[in-house]
Amino acid sequence: MLTIDAEAYRSPWRTVHPAVKGVLFGGLLVCALALPAWPGAALAGAVALAFGLGPARVPPRKLLRTGLGPLAFIATGAAALLVSVGGPDGPIAWDPQGAARAAELTGRASAAVVCQLLFAFTTPLADLLPRLSRAGLPPALVEVVALIYRMLFVALDTARRVGAAQAGRLGYANRRNRVRSLGALGAALFVRSYDRAARLQRGLECRGYTGALTVLVDDIPLRASALAAAAVPAVLVAAAALTLGAWT
Amino acid sequence: MHIAEGFLPPAQAAAWTAAAAPFVVHGVHSLTRAVRADPEAKLLLGASGAFCFVLSALKIPSVTGSSSHPTGVGLGAVLFRPPVMAALGTVTLLFQALLLAHGGLTTLGANVFSMAVVGPWVGYAAYRSVRALASRLPEQTSLGAGVFAAAFAASLSTYTVTSLQLALAFPDAAGGVAGAFVKFATVFSITQIPLSVVEGLVTVVIVRLLSTVGREQLLRLGVLRGGTAAGAVDGPGADASDETAGPHEPTSGPTSEPTSDGEAKA
Repeated sequence: MLTIDAEAYRSPWRTVHPAVKGVLFGGLLVCALALPAWPGAALAGAVALAFGLGPARVPPRKLLRTGLGPLAFIATGAAALLVSVGGPDGPIAWDPQGAARAAELTGRASAAVVCQLLFAFTTPLADLLPRLSRAGLPPALVEVVALIYRMLFVALDTARRVGAAQAGRLGYANRRNRVRSLGALGAALFVRSYDRAARLQRGLECRGYTGALTVLVDDIPLRASALAAAAVPAVLVAAAALTLGAWT
Repeated sequence: MHIAEGFLPPAQAAAWTAAAAPFVVHGVHSLTRAVRADPEAKLLLGASGAFCFVLSALKIPSVTGSSSHPTGVGLGAVLFRPPVMAALGTVTLLFQALLLAHGGLTTLGANVFSMAVVGPWVGYAAYRSVRALASRLPEQTSLGAGVFAAAFAASLSTYTVTSLQLALAFPDAAGGVAGAFVKFATVFSITQIPLSVVEGLVTVVIVRLLSTVGREQLLRLGVLRGGTAAGAVDGPGADASDETAGPHEPTSGPTSEPTSDGEAKA
């Protein structure tokens, strides 16, 4: 399984309605984006982390490892702000305001990534997808989305096994082999995915498939008080950031 | 190349979402129509979406020693056509954001615009033009050239659009948007340009293998000339032309070897 999904299933917050978690982390995400980066984004990130590592018990090491990808992108992108090009000081020059802009962008985006990751780490997609059709999306699309979600783990597993078999035969020993092996992996994956879909179709038809795949969704009651409570941290962060901003 | 969550200012993120929306709505519409016309298409679309996701989760080696993820949009556009790819690509990007932390939710619109709209259309245009130009050549050669062009152009255009999106969000103090574009394009070119070439090569291998082992599916999708040129989910009509188109290609031979290489249950 994928780290994020596996952790989401294990999360003590799995029993919390996705909308409540959405309001909590979404509200903090909006704070990180809309408030001044200092102290707004820093506060939003810190509060989100406190909730995530505290009551939601998200494993910090896994959170960090998953966050490394987006953080690398943020660092690379922010590094480009340090210099300016085509100015009077030559083709490439140090931008005096660059460091401040880069720091602001890094802080804001890192806080936003933390909020997004913590939502993903506490909410399995399987709890989220069936609720999409209630949000007004066409049922055919929601079903295709749900099918993609169900099939992708089998496909990922196939890719992993094929990759291991290829590596065992020195399929990744040099560059030429790597390209060949990856191509073979892609082709095998395509053929098997289609074959599996056809077999699934036949199996479902034998069980009276009429086009609707009904699954049981855990019925989590959504209370207005819980929603309101989830919005409180974001409101407090916004108030604190604006007061601190007015002081400085 | 996914723009991370929170990297774009909210107004720009909203603007890119609005720009991508019509294409995605059109894609969802054609997907819904396909499912209504042929209920079997639903499972095939599910399989196609899962395939796109896994393809983009693979790590491919870059010349500079780092490894990166292919976009897979060029192959997707050739196999499933750009409108369907707009819908499948959006779903794939949403899953990548929530399951792999590649890309964000507020930046989903911007990522959809570069990877599920511009990439597939540019890739598909490159594919059609190369196929038209190379129509006199043997099918394998023209298919290989077309597919390489599609994957290369799609990957490269995705990277260009992303650099442009970043440049519009963070214009350079001295050089403006153009200067910022040069900066971002240079910073990311280290991984993205070699990646586009490698992705093109890998895609050629995939399609060459598929034209022998997955011939039926390619005919059904209208990628091979033997089949009808209709949409991604053309039903039994495409299958019927299978027999007439059969003998051009060897059904076994050296090219099918790597597939048995990939057998998991050996």
